[in-house]
Formats: sequence, structure tokens, C-alpha cells
Amino acid sequence: MTVSPLFELRGVCKDFPGVKALDNVSFEINAGEVHMLVGENGAGKSTLMKILCGAYRADEGTFFQNGEQVRIDSPADARKFGIAVIFQEFTLVPYLDIAQNIFLGREFPNRVPGLIDRRRIHAEAKRVLDLIGFHIDPRTPVHKLGVAQQQMVEIAKALSQDARILVMDEPTAALSDRETELLFAMIERLKKKGVAIIYISHRLSEVFALGDRITVLRDGRKIGSLLPAETTPDQLVTQMVGRPVDATYTRPSRPTPGEVVLEVKNLSGPSGFSDVNLTVRAGEIVGLCGLVGSGRTEVARAIFGADHVSTGEIRLNGKRISASAEDSVRRGMALIPENRKAQGLALARSIGDNIVLVGLRKLFPSGIFAPRRAIKAARAVIDKLRIATPSPRRPVATLSGGNQQKVVVGKWLNADAKFYIFDEPTRGIDVGAKAEIFRLLDGLVHNGAAILMISSEQIEIVHICDRAYVMRSGRIAGELKHHELTEANIVRLGIHQ
Amino acid sequence: MSTTALPAQIARVPGVAIALIALCIVFVLTSPGFATPPNIANVLTQSTILLLLALPMTLIIMTEGLDLSIGAVLTFASIILAITAVSTGSLALAFAAALAVGLCFGFLNGALIAVFDIPPFITTLGTLGIAQGLSLVVTDGQSVVGIPRSIETIYSGTAAGIPLPIILAALAYAVTHALLYHTRFGAYVFALGGNREALKVAGISVRGMLIRVYVFGGLMAGFAALLMTARLNSAHPTAGIGMEFDAIAAIAVGGTSFERGNGWLLGTLLGVITVGVLRNGLNLLAIPSSVQVACVGGLVIAALFIDGLRGEQ
Repeated sequence: MTVSPLFELRGVCKDFPGVKALDNVSFEINAGEVHMLVGENGAGKSTLMKILCGAYRADEGTFFQNGEQVRIDSPADARKFGIAVIFQEFTLVPYLDIAQNIFLGREFPNRVPGLIDRRRIHAEAKRVLDLIGFHIDPRTPVHKLGVAQQQMVEIAKALSQDARILVMDEPTAALSDRETELLFAMIERLKKKGVAIIYISHRLSEVFALGDRITVLRDGRKIGSLLPAETTPDQLVTQMVGRPVDATYTRPSRPTPGEVVLEVKNLSGPSGFSDVNLTVRAGEIVGLCGLVGSGRTEVARAIFGADHVSTGEIRLNGKRISASAEDSVRRGMALIPENRKAQGLALARSIGDNIVLVGLRKLFPSGIFAPRRAIKAARAVIDKLRIATPSPRRPVATLSGGNQQKVVVGKWLNADAKFYIFDEPTRGIDVGAKAEIFRLLDGLVHNGAAILMISSEQIEIVHICDRAYVMRSGRIAGELKHHELTEANIVRLGIHQ
Repeated sequence: MSTTALPAQIARVPGVAIALIALCIVFVLTSPGFATPPNIANVLTQSTILLLLALPMTLIIMTEGLDLSIGAVLTFASIILAITAVSTGSLALAFAAALAVGLCFGFLNGALIAVFDIPPFITTLGTLGIAQGLSLVVTDGQSVVGIPRSIETIYSGTAAGIPLPIILAALAYAVTHALLYHTRFGAYVFALGGNREALKVAGISVRGMLIRVYVFGGLMAGFAALLMTARLNSAHPTAGIGMEFDAIAAIAVGGTSFERGNGWLLGTLLGVITVGVLRNGLNLLAIPSSVQVACVGGLVIAALFIDGLRGEQ
């Protein structure tokens, strides 16, 4: 005799023109369970999530709540069954307070007709916030909150609507390590209260740390359901990508590094780093790691000339550079920023336009734009990086995260850079795309380029880099040569003492 | 990054208050007639029409929208009001006609923006032209005169010693305040500019709410037409030209941002008074109105500069 699951989907199919997004997928969730949903981009996770919350309707398939067959035809149906989704893009109104956001659209009426009862809204909000252990004045406007706090408000909003199933889409993508811990603590609390959580993640570490069960999707099909205790990361990755891959990637042997390309001496800057010394040689990938907020990105931006430097010097191929981004680019430096949407891409423009942007001066020395030459140059990059698109004329926004990241990288290929800074090159992209990005990095150093790579994922640094610098509180805490480069050493150097 | 040398207390005072106080000090020092009770009443009375336009415009701007037609709609409503009053002799009927004109234009704006997805700037630039053109066509470019004398009392009358327009404007402010901060509609106005997706997931019609916001603007323009006609005791086809400029300026001075639904209604009130004080003071100094327009423009930049200096968003 088995107890029926809190909610169950059986044999769900969904077709989009030309794509079978979901093919006979079954999925179940129990009360008080964290069910991890993993898979590469395009595996069908988002489609499944949207069917669950009523945004899409399944072509085929049946739904059961506590063993009884039900239908989800609209978002209202999903709400009725207690299903709430915390999207990556929050649905909060910045200049309303926390309480008004939680009860938006469900305001309590006042005794005076037409007016709302703000006092009751605040009191009820306080109750919900206390329930999840988020102690904050519900009168605080949402725009004053950080990302992590806004996420808490979203969770409170969902729970105030009696959500019993929370769907979270990569909730830690924008959180610091400390905030991630707080989120995990809250998830534990919610579990104890019997809330079921469907958790979509690209981070293997949290899949194993948090999940009670793991379901793997690939190409719209369910590959399997696994128990974390009985699975190794390698097995999971193999299931996700469908072919055996080393957890991330293994570094092929590299030739002995050549001349020093970048030399930074005693660099200090107002954005919060001081006395930074580092070198990068031709043909090597050097890691720059440390906790979020340790000054990694600030140092990278200062080296590139995007931020101010107060003292110290930067030499590229032995020549001192003037710390302006324009000068850096002219001398063959490239920065691939962390936030590709905000800093690296013109989303509304075409893939081709984005790719040729950096190399405009070289491609068109006369200053006159030749569309055919631009398309040709873009096609070359698209082929080289295997960017999945039918045409360079398509808008960049139509690409998946991994392919967008390839465009960001690709635009620098036209500039023929000698020194690259990659800031979190694999953030938010799936395992397969990660491996391709790493292959690309490897290709660059084989052709004599030098790379400085920032990553929060220590395992990536360990696997990709020849050596690494670890930052702590705006200073270089230490350098790890190849034989010392282990996750444990990175953590040891990076943690505050 | 804010690099403020000001003490924290002063830094919290909004730019509009600083601008208002600074202007008052300048005019008290330069023109003896400024700080007299009749002149102060005058400034406030003259600000009422602008306030009636600036209040709904604040809500419209909070939705990341704009209503350039509001001054022209006021003009056209004023002309229909005058014509109705002259032909029927009924002020109530005339006022109803003015409100109807406002309602129609508000609905037209809202529908074009919300349903047909035409950008507010373009939509209301078009309806500005329509309302302005109709005003000229209907009047043949002439003023409409011969309105029953009783209409004057609406602008020049007093109750308990307070000028009637001030009472009406205060009422309008109170209603708008309640609407924005104490009704569902108000919360949805914040959401229209801040995050429309939040409305969608809450099951609220974004289109319906947008239309209501512009209808509110049209109705208030019709209301303002009553005060304008009473003030002039006639209707002029060019009376409201450029009022949208003053209204938007007052809102910008008042600290309402044009993004993310960041609005402040009290700031708009202060902004309207600041613009009123500036124009009044310049009048007292006999500075021509063409120069006054430039000064209002300068005021906007100055107030935003003060806010920007202190790193406020």
C-alpha cells in the first residue's frame, strides 16, 4: 500500500512547431520533499515548469493531486492546487512596500468602500514573513531590498496564497554564498512545514546538497530519477548530456608558457582592492578566485581600464598601459564581462552585429560599413564556435544562455586579442555549453593567447587553470601553482581568518 | 556614488523643497510685493489649474507613460463648456459636457496606448493635434464669450475666506492621494510602471488599468477646464497651449522619476507651487513670459541636479 504523491504528472507531451519540447514525461512530488530538476538548456525544464503553473497547456498527459485526477488549464487552476513558481525575473513592484507586494491583487477591503485596509495588509504580511523566518518591517519598499531579500518576498507571496508546491528556477543564480546559505536554511524550514519544492539548478553541488530526489531531463524526455546518495556527480552529468563527460572538462596538456604578457604591480584602486601583484604568460590560463565580494571583478575591470586605479602599474607585453579601456582594446586586451545581458551584448541587435562590434575598426578600416563583409566575418565566428543559429541575422535574444555566451566570446575573436579576461564565463549555462567554452579557452591559449579567468566554481578553476591567485578582502591572499591547485587550498586561502 | 558634503539631515530634504525655499528667498529679497498675503493667495490660486493637470499626469508618468494632449484637451473642453453654457444657459450641463470631452479623449488615449500598443508619446502627440485642431475649427480661431456671469464666482469666490479654486484643488489633491495610496487602483498604478508582469500573475488586466489611468487624466482636464473658463470668463482656443510642459516640469521638479513607477504625489504639489512661485516672482520682476518658459526649464534641471548630487534615484 503506497501513499499517493502530493502531485503527479503522467505522460505529459508538448509540441512546439518543429520541436518536441516534452515527450511522455512523468513527474511526481511529495510533501516536504525537495525534488531537483536538472538538464541542459533546452532539455524541457522550462516547458515542464510552465505546464505545471498553467502558462502552457499540455498536448497530452494527466495530472493527479493526492491521487485524484485534476486538470490544469490556466494559471488560476495551478494556484487552486497550491502551485507557485518563483521565476528568475521577480514579479515585484519596486515602489510598493513588501506587504503590498505580497497581497497585490488580493488587497483587503476597508470599511470605507473603495479603499483598502493597509493596516490589515501589513499585519497579514508580517504573519507570513514570520512564518518563513524573514524578520523585516513589511513597510519597507521593495526597491530598497537586495536580490536575496526580494526572493524571500517572492516566497512569502507564494506562501500567502497557500502554496504547497514551490517551483524555484535557479534561485541561487544571483545570490552570494552567504545569501545562498540563508536560502537553503529557509528551504529546510519549508520542508519541515510540508511544502514540496521543485528546484531547477545547473549547479551540481547544490543538487547534491539539497535534493531528496533528482529527475534528469534530456531533449524533452525523462532520462531518470535518481537518489543523490546513490549517485555520483559523474553519473549525473553523463545522464544529463547523454555521453560520458568528465564532470566539467579535463585539461589537455599545454606547452610550457612563454613570455609574460600581463604584469600587474602593486595595483590599488578605489573600488576596493590594494597591492595586487600578478602575472599571466602567453599560453597559460590563470585563475583569479576568492569569495564573492573579495575584489576579483574589481581587479579585472581595473586591469582592463574600465575602472579607476589609484596606484600601481599594468604592463602588457612589457609596455605600460594607460588604464583606459580604449587603449587596452587597441593593444589587444579583451574583457568578457560577468553579466552578459547588461554588459556584453546588445540583445535587440542581431548575432552578426554583436559579433563584429569589437572588430569594426579592423574589418572596415575606411569607416564605411559593408554588410556582406560583416556577415561573412560573423559566419566565420559562428562556425568556429558552433553557435546554434540558422543565420547571423537573427536577434541575439533568441539564443540560449550558452550560445549567447559564445557570442560574447566570439566578438573578441575578430579583435585578435592577445590577452583575455573571462569573468564567470560559465555562469548560468549548462554542462555541454560549459565544455565548449572551455575548449574555446584552450584553443585560445594554444594559439599563444594569455587568459585570466574568474570563477566562483572552484572545481572549474582546478580543472582549467594552470595556476591561480586567490583573493581575500581586496588583496591577493596567495598564489597556487599547478601542483597546489586544489579546491581545499582555494577555500583555505579565500576564507576570512 | 554620492559624494555629499552636506550633513545627513539636509541630505534627506528633497530637491524640490530646497528649490522652493531658495526661490522664495530670492523673490523676498528682490521684489517687495512678493511676500504679501494677497500675492501668496494669488500664487496659490493661479497654481490650481496646473495642479489639476499635474496630479493625473503624475499617475500617468508613473506608468512610464506620458500625456502631451492634456493642455489641448483642457482647451477643447473649455470651448465646449463655453459653447454649451452660452447656448443652454446651464452651467451644470456645460460642466458635464466638458467632463465628457475629457472622458472621450482620455479613453481614446488609453485605448490607443493599451490596446493598440502605440507609444504614449506618439499617441498623445496625435491627440494633442486633434484637440488643438478641433478647438480652432469649432471657434474659427475666435474666443467664445457670453457665458452666464455666475461662472466667475467659481474662480473668484471664497468660502470661509479661502478662495474657491484652492478648496477645489485641495479636494482634488485629497482624492488623488486616496486613489494612489489607499485603493487597489493606486497599487496597480505603481505596478504598471514598476513591473507589469506582477499584475499579470495577479490576474489583473494591464490594459484595463492603463485605460483608467488615461481616463482619469482626461476627466481632470475637463475639471480644470471649468476653472480655466471661470478664470477668463470666456474660452480661448489657445488658452491651454504649453500647460503640459508646465505640468511635466512640475512633476519632474517634484522628484517623480520617469522609470519603474517611482512617483511622489506630495512632490508634485510642491513642484506645482515651485513653478507657480517662479512664474509669479518673474512677473513681479516684469520678466516677459517667453523668458519665464526658459526659467521653468532651468528649474527642472536645477532640481534634478540637486537630487542627482545626493545620489538619489
